[in-house]
Amino acid sequence: MNENNFQRLVDQHYTALYRFALSLSKSEADAADLTQQTFFLWASKGGQLRDRSKAKAWLFTTLYREFLRRRRREMRFPEIELETVREEEVSIPPNVKAIDGGTALEALREVDEPFRAPLTLFYLGQFSYQEIADLLEVPIGTVMSRLSRGKAMLRQRLASKEQSLGNKIVRFESNQREESHG
Amino acid sequence: MDNREAKFILNAYRPSGQDASDPVFDEALKQARRDPILRRWFEESVEFDAAMTEKLSAIAPPVGLRENILAGVKITCFARWINRFAKLSIAAALLVTATIASLIWHNTRPAQLAGWQTNALSVISSLVRNESRFDAQSRSAGDLVNWLRANHAPATEKLPDNINKLTSIGCKASSWNGTPVSVICFMRPDGGLVHLVTTAVTPATATGAKSKPIVVHKGGWTTATWREGDKIIMLALEGSPEQLRPYLS
Repeated sequence: MNENNFQRLVDQHYTALYRFALSLSKSEADAADLTQQTFFLWASKGGQLRDRSKAKAWLFTTLYREFLRRRRREMRFPEIELETVREEEVSIPPNVKAIDGGTALEALREVDEPFRAPLTLFYLGQFSYQEIADLLEVPIGTVMSRLSRGKAMLRQRLASKEQSLGNKIVRFESNQREESHG
Repeated sequence: MDNREAKFILNAYRPSGQDASDPVFDEALKQARRDPILRRWFEESVEFDAAMTEKLSAIAPPVGLRENILAGVKITCFARWINRFAKLSIAAALLVTATIASLIWHNTRPAQLAGWQTNALSVISSLVRNESRFDAQSRSAGDLVNWLRANHAPATEKLPDNINKLTSIGCKASSWNGTPVSVICFMRPDGGLVHLVTTAVTPATATGAKSKPIVVHKGGWTTATWREGDKIIMLALEGSPEQLRPYLS
């Protein structure tokens, strides 16, 4: 792949890859490093990929594998027993549009990792459930299950954040009123 | 299909409607049209998903990430181009250097060198002994300098002319007492190596440094150190001052 083609590949995918990495990792620096490492791996191994139309899927799968590899190296994390995660009926937070991007991302990052990866790929909007299953190398049924449970967890997290944000807003308005009368 | 099953399937339905033609969703969508409770749930769910997609798509990557990726990968590609012969030559040179280094380095440590210089020579020694690895490899020193800059490691503004003519091998960024130090290793025409060390001017690194190189020969190593703006530069090789002198112009 020549330099121009590579640059085009980076321009097409680095933003979405970074967003995916950001939802997985602990910090912006880790996410940037993961994104960079993914393209390094492309430079050294991606050339072997014959079907260039699969480059996007290759990059996302590689980023996810790299994340898991680093995670395994960092600690022996206990596998979450999917069966023990309760899928609860959580009402959809009515003011999700009013929640800022940072809070939404924070809530997404609090979703347990096995659910977070398919959920983020889903919200990136570029992949169908079938493609997500291919990327993460899990059966379609598992992806649907994880999306369903992941969304329940996300709504829970957002609902609690929305509640705490609401409390802050009340206090702020109260102070403003006091100042204007004083 | 009951509502619970329909919800399970519809949770995988993208809010943009891209999946409208996917037959997997057919029955669940029909059910959502028929059942008002499910329809309300589905409308809210799509709204929620659309809002989350919008939030996620508003996240911008950090400034410079694209440039870092392009610069970093360029180096990776260059490293792949190093042919087998060149690799063997480098390995042979490193082996000879390592052997000599291990004989001399243990017995005579350079007493007249500052702490950061001794530390830099240890880093170099560990590289040539293959005890540590380069952070980036390239035959182009310019690319290595760009890599160091992109990774916030100290890099010289301009390489000494006669160093610039040499083939580089790789670079490593490290730190000494919190001060970043970088090393770029070069192949000499005689098969030996010469190393360019760069660090920032601090009270600890700038002691005695002047704009003209100060040459020190100790323990088989020769170093030449000078100040260049806000940087301290050190050239180092295992050999005599005469061997280092041609690279100081």
